[in-house]
Amino acid sequence: MASIVAPTTASHAADGNENTGIWSWITTVDHKRIGTLYLWTALFFFIVGGLEAVIIRTQLMQPNMGFVSAETYNQLFTMHGTTMVFLAVMPLSAAFFNYLIPLQIGARDVAFPRLNAFSYWVYLLGGIFITLPILFKVAPNGGWFGYAPLTTTRFSPGINIDFWVLGLQILGISSLAAAFNFITTIINLRAPGMSLMRMPMFTWMSFVVQFLVILAFPPITVALFFLLMDRFFGTNFYAIAAGADPLLWQHLFWVFGHPEVYILILPAFGLVSEVLPTFSKKPLFGYNVMVYSGIMIGFLGFGVWAHHMFAVGMGAVADSIFSLMTMLIAIPTGVKIFNWIATMWSGEVRFTVPMKFAIALIAMFTIGGISGVMHSSPPADLQQTDTYFVVAHFHYVLFGGSIMGIFAGIYFYYPKMTGRFMNEAQGNWHFWLNFIGMNLTFFPMHFSGLSGMSRRIYTYDAGQGWDLYNLLATYGTYLLVVATAVFVWNFIRSHTRGEVAGNDPWGAPTLEWSIPSPPPEYNFAQIPEVTSRYPLWDLKDPKMTAGIDHSHADAKVVTDSHAVPMHEETQRHTAKELGIPMPLPTAKPLFVALAMVVMFCGLLFLRNDMFAVAMTVTIGGAASMTVGLYLWLTSPLE
Amino acid sequence: MSTLRLRRAAPALLTAVALLALNACSGMESAPNSTFNHTTDFNTAIDGLWHRLLFWGTIVFVVVEVALLYTIFRFRKRPGSAPAKQIHGNVALEITWTAIPALILVLIAVPTVKTIFETQAPPPAGALTIEVTGYQWWWEFHYPEYGVTTANEVYIPVGRTTNFVLRTKDVLHSFWVPQMGGKRDLISNKTNSMWFTPRPDLGTNAWNGFCTEYCGSSHANMKFRLYTVQPDEFASWAAHQARPALPHDTTTAAAIPPAMVASASSAMQAPAMQAPASGYVFPASDLPEHVIPQTPIPATLRFDDALLAQGDAKRGETSFMMGGCIGCHVINGNPMALSRIGPDLTHFASRHTLGGGLFPNDDPTLARWIKNARAMKPGALMLVVGIGEYSPDLKGPVTAGLTDAQIADVVAYLRALK
Repeated sequence: MASIVAPTTASHAADGNENTGIWSWITTVDHKRIGTLYLWTALFFFIVGGLEAVIIRTQLMQPNMGFVSAETYNQLFTMHGTTMVFLAVMPLSAAFFNYLIPLQIGARDVAFPRLNAFSYWVYLLGGIFITLPILFKVAPNGGWFGYAPLTTTRFSPGINIDFWVLGLQILGISSLAAAFNFITTIINLRAPGMSLMRMPMFTWMSFVVQFLVILAFPPITVALFFLLMDRFFGTNFYAIAAGADPLLWQHLFWVFGHPEVYILILPAFGLVSEVLPTFSKKPLFGYNVMVYSGIMIGFLGFGVWAHHMFAVGMGAVADSIFSLMTMLIAIPTGVKIFNWIATMWSGEVRFTVPMKFAIALIAMFTIGGISGVMHSSPPADLQQTDTYFVVAHFHYVLFGGSIMGIFAGIYFYYPKMTGRFMNEAQGNWHFWLNFIGMNLTFFPMHFSGLSGMSRRIYTYDAGQGWDLYNLLATYGTYLLVVATAVFVWNFIRSHTRGEVAGNDPWGAPTLEWSIPSPPPEYNFAQIPEVTSRYPLWDLKDPKMTAGIDHSHADAKVVTDSHAVPMHEETQRHTAKELGIPMPLPTAKPLFVALAMVVMFCGLLFLRNDMFAVAMTVTIGGAASMTVGLYLWLTSPLE
Repeated sequence: MSTLRLRRAAPALLTAVALLALNACSGMESAPNSTFNHTTDFNTAIDGLWHRLLFWGTIVFVVVEVALLYTIFRFRKRPGSAPAKQIHGNVALEITWTAIPALILVLIAVPTVKTIFETQAPPPAGALTIEVTGYQWWWEFHYPEYGVTTANEVYIPVGRTTNFVLRTKDVLHSFWVPQMGGKRDLISNKTNSMWFTPRPDLGTNAWNGFCTEYCGSSHANMKFRLYTVQPDEFASWAAHQARPALPHDTTTAAAIPPAMVASASSAMQAPAMQAPASGYVFPASDLPEHVIPQTPIPATLRFDDALLAQGDAKRGETSFMMGGCIGCHVINGNPMALSRIGPDLTHFASRHTLGGGLFPNDDPTLARWIKNARAMKPGALMLVVGIGEYSPDLKGPVTAGLTDAQIADVVAYLRALK
């Protein structure tokens, strides 16, 4: 194990009998491959959502433009939001959950590898289901928030909203299945000695996020189910003519929607918390407080939903309570910002591309956080809500925060995933174009919003004080297109042309860097025993970690899991050679996912008076799903 | 290398931000829908909070960004730089940067809660009540105190509190005049309200109003105008608007058959019939540039404007009734036009805009609007009445509708509803 074998190649193809054909991807249950699939798919949808934004910004470039029609515009802004939230940023995080959590905790896979594959296929099929209609100009057009009663049949009789309701239900199943999987994985599969408070910060933030998912998705599932029943079976949950209170939808949606914001940002916080210590050559400042503040953010995140509703007239008492809760959440978030800066303080800061993105997250998220506090104050929010000021705010949070963090993660973990570096010069171009483009796009929106420009309008008159800001924002978007093109080129080209990276190209402290890049199918030939938070620094430079607690795991636990002392693995074998049992490849999760989506598709025919077709498709899908599940559950894992 | 780039890029960025900020603050004429002006008690209260938020926000921004930039510059790795110090945390520091933000938040929270309760208190006695009803995609304004109903243009007197009672007939909308204060949603099956008092010295002026809750196809086209006027101007306006609209003057008096006037007068209060012909209307010449709509009219929608000169109000009234207009529109003074599905057209000629604040209320635009409103406003619910025009409802051309000449007559009739 200790022999020094320089990595000569960096592709999966070199792993002897490891199969790389398309069938191997369809049947894979390997968390790393599923993570890779998530990454590619989510990047594809990120580009789709980005192109939607380009059309939106082109339409808004000048007053009274006729680039797209009102109806097309409404479909585009609905799909831009839906795509970015559900099909791009969440799955980009999921790519990292999949790829990294088992590697960071010293496991050979997730707890339920086939369920993991199922999550991915449901996501892919759900993504296609909700995206395809835009090619036929029948995309959802009720906004990503889908407020009732606009989304009820009376006001939206078309098929557009049906795709949205069913699509989100499908995607929710994917997220929930994945969340239970990761929680089980993190609780049960950690290497001996890795106590909860020794987990890498990314795994910690992911752990918090999974709980947010399992608590936040049920409310929206209920909300969507009510809407589905209304639209397909004529119930009256949101039918205003039958006396419904449309605020029911808003409450259920935002009880999901606000924790969703933290579902989108906490993984990026986790990634940045890995990047900053590595390139500062210092441990994360205030690890415990970083953990607690992450949990605190997640916890408070459930108590602030109604700050999205200050204009609905909840009354002074409710407004005050939700306002104060919202202000509270700024405290743990602020602590994170200061702890990150303190992490770099008195370090050796190296400005690699991932580090630049991580620093940019701190700088940009701060702006989004400050504007967030500005609309935590309800009277001020009444001037800001549903204007471009809010658009600026949440793009600083989601683009300046989540996307910056995810790019940091991609540049940081690319060598681990592919065995090769991404090109540094192109990465720098990407970073600066992205950074300038983002600010040029979103900063002027603060001003257009405060100058009275509402959101979701497809056009506006000249001379309202908005012309310049809109023009700048559109130029900024074009700059972001160039930036993203540079990234895509670099991302694809570096797979084959990138400089070869070793196990630990950055000098990072955690377990995933102790194994070859890309990791072999079994991850760890021998499970290492973890004696501190920074096992690889313990091994390579014990002086660095001298100041923190070290302790050995219970001897029996170490023996039971056949763990060995912390070490670096440089040789590449196959699981077969090492006698490590691996889960069998199977297409059953894909089949079940497909059958489930078919089952949902049947409903689409129902509202077109094609009862027989609807029943055939739905019952056929349900039957296939049941059979598929039976076959899946009765076939052995290994 | 990278720090050098950062140093080079920073001044450019800062300049850009400064220029933007300068543009935003350099005089309000460049921001005619600004949210910062102290035009009402409501907006003054909001602006007080905003300044506090901006003050503390700026301080936090500067502290964090300076700390960040200093840290990455000071501790950048370079030849001969000190090795990293392995610090794992510092409880005192962490308590400090927990406590200081908490303190700042208290300074924001206290005035916030105070302002919430002040601005959401019941309106002061003697407030003018205006019932606002949102429709896809236009606004109805009803003044119960004066018996006035109008659409898309609302007059309020300065110095007197106006309490807007907000309801919707269909989906959610939101009522917002940025210059007057915050917004409030119109929620189905619920009545909301919001009040403010325009400063007594505000002067007679016109302001833009918008719908700010996404409400479907023409959400962007659901606008209105708010006129702040002097109390005497308001009284004159309201008194006139309360009267039935009858084409009184010499050119159009004959338009109403005597029998119809008789039946109308039996339905309406008799004194109104002898009242003077006109009341106050916000002068068109005083309209600021930014409240005049600029929506382009589709080039495919053609109308022979020469016909407008031949329009006859009397014939127009017949066409108004025979052409189906009365199916949706009410005109106080026309006993046949009673339906309240579409905007109230009583005193339509006294308005400066049409189509939900989307177009200027001039003859050529009005003619095209009557001919094919759907082509001019996406999703509009008004039926296409021009013969030969494509109707999305019929999924084909309109056969039983109005000819261009008849539309010119209807224009003349509506123009007489002063």
